[in-house]
Amino acid sequence: MYQLEKVTKQFDRGLMAVDRVDLGIRRGERLAVIGPSGAGKTTLFRLLNLTIPLTSGRLSIAGQEVGALRGARLREHRRRIGTVYQQQNLVPRLRVIHNVLAGRLGAWSFLRAVRSLIRPTREDIRAAHAALSRVGIPEKLWARTDELSGGQQQRVAISRVLLQNPEVILADEPVSSVDPSLAHAIVRLLMDLSGTSGKTLIMNLHSVDLALAYFPRVVGFRDGRVAFDRSPAQVSDDLLVSLYAGSSPSHPTEESPDAEAAVRGCAPVFRPQ
Amino acid sequence: MLAGLGLLVAWSWRGVGFDPGALFDADGRAQILTYIRKLFPPDLAPGLLLKVVYWSLETFAMSFMGTMLSIGIALALVFAASRNLAFSGVLFEVEEAGRPVRVARIVLHVAARALLNLLRTVPHIVWALIFVFAVGLGPFAGVLALGLHTGGVLGKLFAEVVEDIDTQPLEALQATGANRRQIFCYGVLPQALPQLVAYGLYRWEVNIREAIILGYVGAGGLGQQIQIAISLFLEHQLLTLLLAIYLMVTLVDYLSAFLRRRLL
Amino acid sequence: MRKPPSAAAPPFSDRSKARTSTLLGLAFLAAFLGSWHLAQIHPLALFEAEGRRNMARFLAGMFPPAHSPEFLLGLWRPLLETIQISVMGTVLAIVIGFPLGLLGTASLSHRGTLHDAELAGAPARRLGRMLPYVLARGVLSVFRCIPEFVWAFMFVRAVGLGPVPGVLAIGISYGGMLGKVYSEILENQGQQASEALQATGASRWKVLLYGMLPQALPQLVAYTLYRWECAVRASAVLGFVGAGGLGQQIELSMRMFNFNEVITLVLVLLLLVAAMDAFSARLRAALV
Repeated sequence: MYQLEKVTKQFDRGLMAVDRVDLGIRRGERLAVIGPSGAGKTTLFRLLNLTIPLTSGRLSIAGQEVGALRGARLREHRRRIGTVYQQQNLVPRLRVIHNVLAGRLGAWSFLRAVRSLIRPTREDIRAAHAALSRVGIPEKLWARTDELSGGQQQRVAISRVLLQNPEVILADEPVSSVDPSLAHAIVRLLMDLSGTSGKTLIMNLHSVDLALAYFPRVVGFRDGRVAFDRSPAQVSDDLLVSLYAGSSPSHPTEESPDAEAAVRGCAPVFRPQ
Repeated sequence: MLAGLGLLVAWSWRGVGFDPGALFDADGRAQILTYIRKLFPPDLAPGLLLKVVYWSLETFAMSFMGTMLSIGIALALVFAASRNLAFSGVLFEVEEAGRPVRVARIVLHVAARALLNLLRTVPHIVWALIFVFAVGLGPFAGVLALGLHTGGVLGKLFAEVVEDIDTQPLEALQATGANRRQIFCYGVLPQALPQLVAYGLYRWEVNIREAIILGYVGAGGLGQQIQIAISLFLEHQLLTLLLAIYLMVTLVDYLSAFLRRRLL
Repeated sequence: MRKPPSAAAPPFSDRSKARTSTLLGLAFLAAFLGSWHLAQIHPLALFEAEGRRNMARFLAGMFPPAHSPEFLLGLWRPLLETIQISVMGTVLAIVIGFPLGLLGTASLSHRGTLHDAELAGAPARRLGRMLPYVLARGVLSVFRCIPEFVWAFMFVRAVGLGPVPGVLAIGISYGGMLGKVYSEILENQGQQASEALQATGASRWKVLLYGMLPQALPQLVAYTLYRWECAVRASAVLGFVGAGGLGQQIELSMRMFNFNEVITLVLVLLLLVAAMDAFSARLRAALV
C-alpha cells in the first residue's frame, strides 16, 4: 500500500524531522508507531496523508508515486486516506452531522457541499446516523460539536472517517487527550473497523501499552528515523529503553521518564495540551 | 504627562474662546432659551407626521442597504485580504502553482488591503458628495457612500477575524480531500461567523447615525429634511424631525442588540 | 437505501432552530426588499452618461491638489482649531458624562450587594433611588442618540458660527456615549471588592472611590482616549455646518467648486487623524 524510499522532510530552519526513512506497508496491514515526543511521528503522518510535501525521496501509494501530485489528483488520493487527529479534528461551531458528513467532501462538488450545509439529504442523514450509531452516540446527530466531551468528539471524528470510507486510516495519537478508560475502547473500535473492512490502519501512539497489546506490528521512531520494526513479541525492554532514553533535551544522559514508564509498562505521563 | 495634558486643555480652552460665562450669563441663557422655546411645540399635523414616517423609513433603508452593501464588499475582498486565504498557511502548503502564480497571489493580497484602506480613510461625507454628483440627490448616493466607506472598515475587521481562526480543523478537512472552497464553507466560515455578524451589526448602529449626516449633504431621508427645515426656519418641524431621529436611532440600537443576542 | 428494521429512524431535522430561522429569514427578506425600494436603488444610474460626466469633472477638478504656499499656510489655523475643538469637546463630555454615568450605574444606585441590606423591605426608598437612575439613563440616551451633527447645527443657530457650537455638540453627544460606557464598565466590576469595603462600614461613595474606580480606571481611560480620536474626526465633520476647523474650510471650498482645495484639505485631515491615532496609542501605553 505504502512504499517509502529514503523519504526526507526538512523544515525551513534546517530541522530534519524525517530523515531518509525506508518503510513498506502492505494493504490491510495494522501497525502502530511509537517513540518519544518530537521524534517526527506527526510529521511522518502528515507526509503519509499528503498534507505536506516531502523534501526528497519517494513516496508511493498503491504503486503510484505521489510526490508530484497536485490539484484534483492530489485530492483524489487524499480522499482515500482518512485521518483522526489527537484533537481539534472538528469544526467547533458546526453541528455534529455536518462534521460527520464532511467526510464526503472529497467526493462532493462545491455546490453539493453548500447545499448539504443548508439542508442535508435524507440519505445523508441516515448515513451519518448509522455511522454515529456505530461509535455509540447516535443521539448527538444535531448537537453542536463544541457541546460534546473530548471522547465524544473523537468518536465523531471516527464517524467522519467511516463516511469517508477510505482505504487507509491514519490515527495520529487519537487517544492521548482522552480518558484512559476510553482509550482502550477507541483503539479497539478502530481495530474493529479496519479489520472488518480490510482497511490499512496506521496508528501513532504515545502509550506503549496500547501498541503492544493490540497491534501485530510495531515501529519505533526516533529522531526522524526508524529505530526498529518488529512484532510485539520481539520488542524487548532493552529496545524500548534505547528508544526512549535520553529523549529529554535537558538530561541527555539520564533515562527519561518515558523510558522508565515504558519499561514498567504503565502509560506515560498525560501529555499537556 | 498629566501636566502636558493640562497644558493641552488650557491651550484649547483659550483657542476655542470657550466662555462658559458668556454661555450661561443672562444674554447667553436668554439666547438659548429663546431658541429652545421656538422649537416647542413639535408640529404634529397628520400630513407632516405621515411624511416624517416616510422619511424615517427612507433613512432606515439607507442605513440598512448601506450596511448590506458594505458586508458584500467586505466578504468579496476578504479572500484576498486575509493572509491565510490568499497565499500562506495550511491551505497552501502543498503548493500546486508555480512561482508567478504565487507572486500574483501576494500582489493581489497587497492590492486588496490597499483598496480597503482607501475605502475607509476617505471620509463618508466625501464619498457622499462624489456619489451625489454621479447619481444625483437622494438616498441611493447615501447607500453607495455608506457601502464603500463601511466596506473598507468591515473588510479590514473581517480579514483580522479570518486570520485568527484555528487552523487545525482546516487541516483535518483538507485531509479528507476537500478543495479550498469547501474548506472555506465548512471550516473558515463557521468559525468566523459570530464575530463577523457582531461587527456587521455594530456598524449598522453607526450607519444609522451617519445616514442622517449624509442626508444633510443631499442623500435624502431625515437628514435632508433637517437641512431644509433649518434653512426655512421651520422650527416646529425641526423638533418633530429630532424626535423621529431619536426614535429611529434607538430602534436600530435595540434591533442590533436583539439580533446579537439571538444569533450568537 | 433500506435500513435494517432494528435500527431506530434518525431525526430528520432540527425542529428547535428551524422555526426561528425561517421567521428571521422572512423578516430579513422583507426588510431587504422594502429597503431596496425605499432607498431608490437603481444601479444603472451609475452607468448613465450624465453621471459619468459629472464624476469625471469632479475627479478632474481634484487634480492637481492645491498646494500653493499661501493656501497651505492658511490651513494652519483651522487645523489647530480642529484639535482644540476635539480637546475641549472631550473635556466637556467627561464633565457631563462622568456624573451622569455614575448616577446611571445600577450597581451604585439600587441594585446589587451595596444596597440589599439597606433597601430590603423599603420599597419607597428603593423607588427614590431608582428615580435619579432612570432619569440619568434617559438623559444620556437622548444625548447620545441624536447625532452630534444635529446638535451642532442647532447650536450654530442658537449661539452663532464658530468653534463653540462644535465644542458643545461634541460635549453633549459624546457625554452621552461616555456616560453609558462608563456605567457599563463600572457595572462589570466584580462585586467582591465592593462588598469587602462595604463591610468596613464605608458609604456608597467611598466604596466607589476606593474600590470600583481604581479597578475600572484603565478601561475608563482607554475608552475616553478612543472617544477623543473619534472627536478629532467628528470636529472636522462638524465644521461642515459652521462649527469651525477643517470641516468649515472643506464646506467653503466645496461651495465654490474648488475641488483641488477639497482634496488637499481631505489629505490634511487624513494626516491629522493618523497622527492622532499614533499619539493616542502612545498616550494609552503611558497611562495604563
